[in-house]
Amino acid sequence: MARVKEDTAVVGKNWARLDGADKVSGRSIFADDVRLTGMLYGKVVRSPHVHARILSIDTSAAEALAGVKAVITPEDAKDIWLGINQPLLPTESVMHVGHEVAAVAAISEEIAARAAALIKVEYEPLTELLDVEKAMEDDALQLHEKAKGNIAWKQEEEHGDPDAVFAACDVIREDTYITNPSHNCFAEYHVCVADFSSPAKLKMWTPTQTAMLFQQSLAAGFKLPVSDVRLLTLNTGGGFTGRTSTRPHHFLAALLSRKAGRPVRLRSAGDEEFIMSRAGGRVTYKLRSGATKDGKLKVIEADLLFDTGAYIESQMIVTTLTSKYIHALYPIEASRYRGRLIHTNNLPYYFHHGGGIAQFQFALGQHMDALARDLGMDPVEFNLQNAVEEGYTTMDGAFYASCGLKECIEKTAALAGWKDKYGKLPKFKGIGIGIGAMASGAKGLFRHDTSAAFVKVTEDGKASLFVGIPDMGQSSHTTMAIICAEVLGISPEDINVVSGDTDSDPLDVGAFIQRGTFNTGNATKNAAMDARDQLTKKAAELLEVEEAVLVFRDRRVYPEGQEDKAIPFKKVVYETLHSQEGRFVMGRGFYSSPLEKGTMAYSFGAQIAEVTVDPGTGVVTVDKMTASHDVGRAINPRIVEGQMDGQIFSGMSQVLYEEILMEDGQVMNPSRLDYKMPRAFEMPEVEHIIVESIDPNGPFGAKEVGEGPIVCTMQAIANAVTNAIGTQVKEMPLSPWRVIKAIKD
Amino acid sequence: MAKQLITLIVNGDSYEVAAAPHQTLLEVMRDILNMTGTKRGCTAGSCGVCTVNGEQGEAILSCLALAVEWDGRPVTTIEGVEEGDKLHPVQQAFLEYGAVQCGFCTPGLVMSAKALLDVNTDPTEADINEAMAGAICRCTGHIKVKKAIREAAKALREREVNDGAS
Amino acid sequence: MQLPPFEYIRPESLAEGLQALAEHGDKIAIMSGGSDLLINMKFRLDGPEYLLSLNGLPELQLIEELDDGSLRIGAGCKLTELANNALIKERYPALQAAIFSVGSRHVRNMGTIGGNICLDTRCWYTNQSETWRDTRDGCFKTDSEQCHVIKTTTKCHALSSTDSGPMLIALDASVVLASQAGERVVPVREFYQDDGLDHTVLEPGEVLVAVIVPPPRGRAVFAKLAQREGLDFAAGSFAAAVSGSNEKLDSVCLVMGSVAPEPRVMEQAGKILMDAGLTDESIDAAAGAARLSLDEVTNLFTPPGYKKRLIRALVKDALTELRDQAVRG
Repeated sequence: MARVKEDTAVVGKNWARLDGADKVSGRSIFADDVRLTGMLYGKVVRSPHVHARILSIDTSAAEALAGVKAVITPEDAKDIWLGINQPLLPTESVMHVGHEVAAVAAISEEIAARAAALIKVEYEPLTELLDVEKAMEDDALQLHEKAKGNIAWKQEEEHGDPDAVFAACDVIREDTYITNPSHNCFAEYHVCVADFSSPAKLKMWTPTQTAMLFQQSLAAGFKLPVSDVRLLTLNTGGGFTGRTSTRPHHFLAALLSRKAGRPVRLRSAGDEEFIMSRAGGRVTYKLRSGATKDGKLKVIEADLLFDTGAYIESQMIVTTLTSKYIHALYPIEASRYRGRLIHTNNLPYYFHHGGGIAQFQFALGQHMDALARDLGMDPVEFNLQNAVEEGYTTMDGAFYASCGLKECIEKTAALAGWKDKYGKLPKFKGIGIGIGAMASGAKGLFRHDTSAAFVKVTEDGKASLFVGIPDMGQSSHTTMAIICAEVLGISPEDINVVSGDTDSDPLDVGAFIQRGTFNTGNATKNAAMDARDQLTKKAAELLEVEEAVLVFRDRRVYPEGQEDKAIPFKKVVYETLHSQEGRFVMGRGFYSSPLEKGTMAYSFGAQIAEVTVDPGTGVVTVDKMTASHDVGRAINPRIVEGQMDGQIFSGMSQVLYEEILMEDGQVMNPSRLDYKMPRAFEMPEVEHIIVESIDPNGPFGAKEVGEGPIVCTMQAIANAVTNAIGTQVKEMPLSPWRVIKAIKD
Repeated sequence: MAKQLITLIVNGDSYEVAAAPHQTLLEVMRDILNMTGTKRGCTAGSCGVCTVNGEQGEAILSCLALAVEWDGRPVTTIEGVEEGDKLHPVQQAFLEYGAVQCGFCTPGLVMSAKALLDVNTDPTEADINEAMAGAICRCTGHIKVKKAIREAAKALREREVNDGAS
Repeated sequence: MQLPPFEYIRPESLAEGLQALAEHGDKIAIMSGGSDLLINMKFRLDGPEYLLSLNGLPELQLIEELDDGSLRIGAGCKLTELANNALIKERYPALQAAIFSVGSRHVRNMGTIGGNICLDTRCWYTNQSETWRDTRDGCFKTDSEQCHVIKTTTKCHALSSTDSGPMLIALDASVVLASQAGERVVPVREFYQDDGLDHTVLEPGEVLVAVIVPPPRGRAVFAKLAQREGLDFAAGSFAAAVSGSNEKLDSVCLVMGSVAPEPRVMEQAGKILMDAGLTDESIDAAAGAARLSLDEVTNLFTPPGYKKRLIRALVKDALTELRDQAVRG
C-alpha cells in the first residue's frame, strides 16, 4: 500500500556532511593524532608459531633498556578475558601466528620496537590444525576444552517439513560455494590511546562502531564499573563491521598505561594490521533448493561451515544472521539450516563488510540464478515471480511493513536494459542480477536495541544534538542533524552534533547491524519532538492560536496556512527561555524495537552488473553497475548514493579481488600493496535508483542503506560472470586464475 | 646517525628542526611539527594517505621521503590548501559532491587531486584515474571522488576564464 | 614502520659520491628515488650503515641526444618526467608505456629510471617485515642457504619486477656504469643475471649513471598484466621490438618480465617470428613457445599454471598489436 511521502523542508534534500569542511582541510582529529603529556608508545610481542607451548619469557633485557617504562607478560594479564574463550595473553600456549605474548611501552616508538625485539620467548612447537576438515575429524587435536570436536558454535533450525517439500519439487539443485579469508582494510589502522594512569578510571581514545560495547567489554575485563571506563571516539576511519568489538590491543594499551602510570598509544604497524585478525574466515556454503516446474521456489536448505580460527568472540552472530536471511527474499514453504563455527590455528576471525550476510548472498544469489536457468527461466522473471512483498511475514517471523523489492527489480532491469541484453550479449560479455534484504537493527543479538538522543535548544535559535552513535563515515551525525532540524523547523547547519564521549553520550548500541538511521533516527526524532513540545506553549501564546495548528519550518513558527503571521523560531526560543518561571529546553527521546526480538523495518535492493571477461587472462572487468535500494525515504539523497557507491566498490572488491592468502597459518600478503583491492581505474559507471517505500515505522519513512546494497553486489557480479562464460565460479574471490579454471573445466 | 639541523618549508612557513636522517618527512611533520593533517597509513607507499605536494606541486608520499632530503624545498600539506578563509575548489568539490566519508584518506586524496588539477584543469577520465591510483578509499569506492575532481576541474576552468576576462 | 638509523651522505658531485662508494664498500647503499629501497629498509631487508643519496646530482638528471641519434637518459631522471618527455613519447612510445606503467603517479614522481632499472627482485617469502620472516627459517636473501619457493635449488628465485628493464632490452639499450675506475657501457641485456640475490652485474663501488637508447628501428610494444591497473607489480610483462615488414622481419627481440630473477629474452619465440614473420600462426606459435620457456615458479601470488597461460595471452595480444601497428602505418 502506498503511503504518502511527508512534505518536508529539510529531509530529502542534498546536504553536505557537517564535518566535511574539517575533513577536507586536515582539521579532523583521529586517535593517531592524539598527543598527551607524557604519552608512551606501545609495541606488542607476537608469536612466530602457529601453535606452541610457551616455555619461558625473558624480559630482562627489554626492561633494562633506557626509555622503557612498562613491560607486561601473561602474568600481568591474569583473569582478563576477551570474548568467550580468549585469555588476553596466553599463559600456556600460543594459538596462532601473531598471537600476542607480551607488550612494552617506551618513550618512543623506536625504543618500544627495540625493547619488543629484546624479549626472548622460548617455545615448544605443538601439532598445528589449519584446516577445517581436519579439525572436524574424530581423532583431531582438541584446541579448546569446551569446544568438543573443535565445534565452537553450532546452530540448527528447521521450518516446515523440508523433506516433504523437496519430495514434491520438480527441480532440485545443489551447489557448494566458498568464500576465502579477507580483511576490512579501513583507511585508519587499528589504534588506541589509553590513559589508565589513575587505576580507578580508564580513558580510551579509539575508533569504534560501538562505544557502548567497547565500554562494557573493557569494564568487564578490568573489573571496573562501566561508568569508570570512558570511551572517547574521535573520528573513526571506516568501520565495515571490523570495529564492532574490542581487540587485544585495546586491553594491552590499558594494561601498559596502568603499569607505567602514563598514557600509552598502541598502533598496529605494517603487517600487524593483517595478522591480528581476519575480517572473514574461509566459509563453505552448501546449498540445496527445490522448485516446482511453474517456477515457484518452495524450499531452501543451507549448511555453513566457518573457519573461526583460534578463538571465538562474537562470530556466532554470523550464523544467527545467516539463518534469518534464508527466508528473507522468497516466500518458501520449508527450510533447513545448519551453521557451524570450527576452531583451527588460523587467525581469529571477525567480520567483513556485509557482516556475513552479503557473503552468504554471494552463494544464495548464484544458486538461485542457476536454479532459474534449470527451470528455463530468465533470472529477473524468476525473482519477480518469487520475491517477497509488503505485508509478508517470513517463516522466521520477520514482518515486512514496507517492501519495495519488486519495484527495485523492475526499475533496475528497465534502466539496465536487461531485456535487450540478457542472452543476447556477445561471447565473454555478461549481465547478472543480485537482490537482497537487510534489517534495520537486530534486537535479540542484545537484550535491547536502544538508541537515545538529547536535544538542547539554545537561545540563538540553534540546537545541540547529543547522540551516542559513532560516525565512521556513513554520515549518521549529519543524518541525525537533518532529522532534528526538520522537526524543529530549522536548518541542519543550525545543529551542533555532540558525540563521542561515553560520559555525556546518550545510550546507543552503536553503528552496526544497520540500526543508525532507523533506531537513532527515531530516537533523534522523538527527542526533537520533545524539545519542540517544550516550545509550543509559548509559541501558541505569542501567535494567539491553538498549539495544534503550529507549523515549525524554515526557522519560523506559524499557524498552518498563515505563513504571513510567522514569527522567528529564535524568538519563540528566546521568549521561552526568558519566561517568568525560567525554562530550559532539553528534549529527550529513545527508540528500541517494540518487538521481543527482531526489527520493525527491512530494506531491499537489486543490482545489475555488466561485465567483460578476458578469455585469455581470466580478468573480469565490471563495465557498469545499475543499483537500486529501497531506503524507505532518503533523508539525504547524495549520502544515500555515496553509501551505495562505497558498497558497490567493496562488494566488487570482495568478489573479484580480496583474499588473505594463507600458508602455514601465516598471511602471505599482509599489505595494502599485496592484499588486492581495486582503485580508481577499475571502478565502473554506477547508476543509482533510490526507491522510497516510506516505511510506516521509520523516521520520515526511512530505513537503512548502510549494508543493504553490498548484499546485492557480489552475487550480481558473480552472476554476470556466469552469464559471460557459461559456468559458475563458485569460489570467491573470482580471481583471474579461478575464472580461467572455470572456463577450462 | 647524528641529527641534522634542517629547514622545512611547509605551507610557506620555515621551520628549523633537528632531524635524524632516517626520519621521514611524515614523521617529522606529525611528531615534531605536530601537523597531524597529513595522516599515517601503511607507511610503505601503498595507500596514499600521507600524500603531500612537493616543490613543483607534484604528489609525493611523505612516508617514503627522508626529511633531510627536503631541507630547504617547499612542501604543501593539507593544512595549506585553503585560500584564506575559503576552501580551495578541490576541497569545496569534495565536500559538495559527497567525496568525503570517514575522512581518514581525504587529506591524501585532496593532495593527489590538487597535484593533478594544478597542472591540468581539463583532465580526461584516464588522467584522473592515473593521478588517483596511488590512493585507496573503501568508503567512497572512488566514485564520488572522481566526480568531485571533474567538478573541481570545471570550477577551476571557470575561474581561469574569469581571471582571464578581468 | 620506521627506518633503521644510518649515516646520510649527500655528495656535491658524482665524483664525491663514487669516492664514498669506494670508501664504504658493502656498508653503503645507493638511494635514488627511495621508493623501493626505503621500503626494503623498513622491512630490514637492507640495513646499510651509510646511505648515499643521488638525489639532486645535476649530472644524473640530463636527457641528451647523442651524435648517432641515440638518447642518453640520466639515471636520476624521475619517471614522471620521462613519461611526459616529448622526445620519448614520439620516438619510443613503447618505452614511454613501460615507464608509465611503473607503480602509481606518486611513485613515479619520486622514483627514477635508474632506480627502476636496478629495482630489487621480489619474493613473497622475503618482502615482508622482519617479524613476519621470523616465523620461517631464512633464505638466500636473508643469509641462509635455502629457497622457500624451490626447495631443491641452489640459488634465489626472487622475481625481477622492473617494467623498464624488459623494454630497454628489447630496444637494445645500454647502461653506463661508473666507478672510481671509470665508466663502462653494458648492454641492458647483459646487465641482469639469473640470480635473485645478485640480479645485476653492478660491482661494489659502481653506480648506474645513465641509460643509452639507440635510435628507433622499427616498431615496439610493451604490455603488462597486473591485477589492478595502478600501483601493482606485474604478474607478467612483455616487451617486443621488431624491424622489417610483417612478412619479413629484419630483427626481433622479445622479452618477458616478472617471470624469473632477470628479464627473460625469448630466443625460441623470436626465432619463430624471424622465420615466419608476423602472422596469426606464427604469433600463436611464438606465444606457445613463450609459455613453454617458463619455469614452474610461484613466488608471487599467481599460481604457476596460470602464469604460463597469462604469458601466452599477453604475448599473443601484444604481438598482434605489433603486427597491426605496421598495417595501420
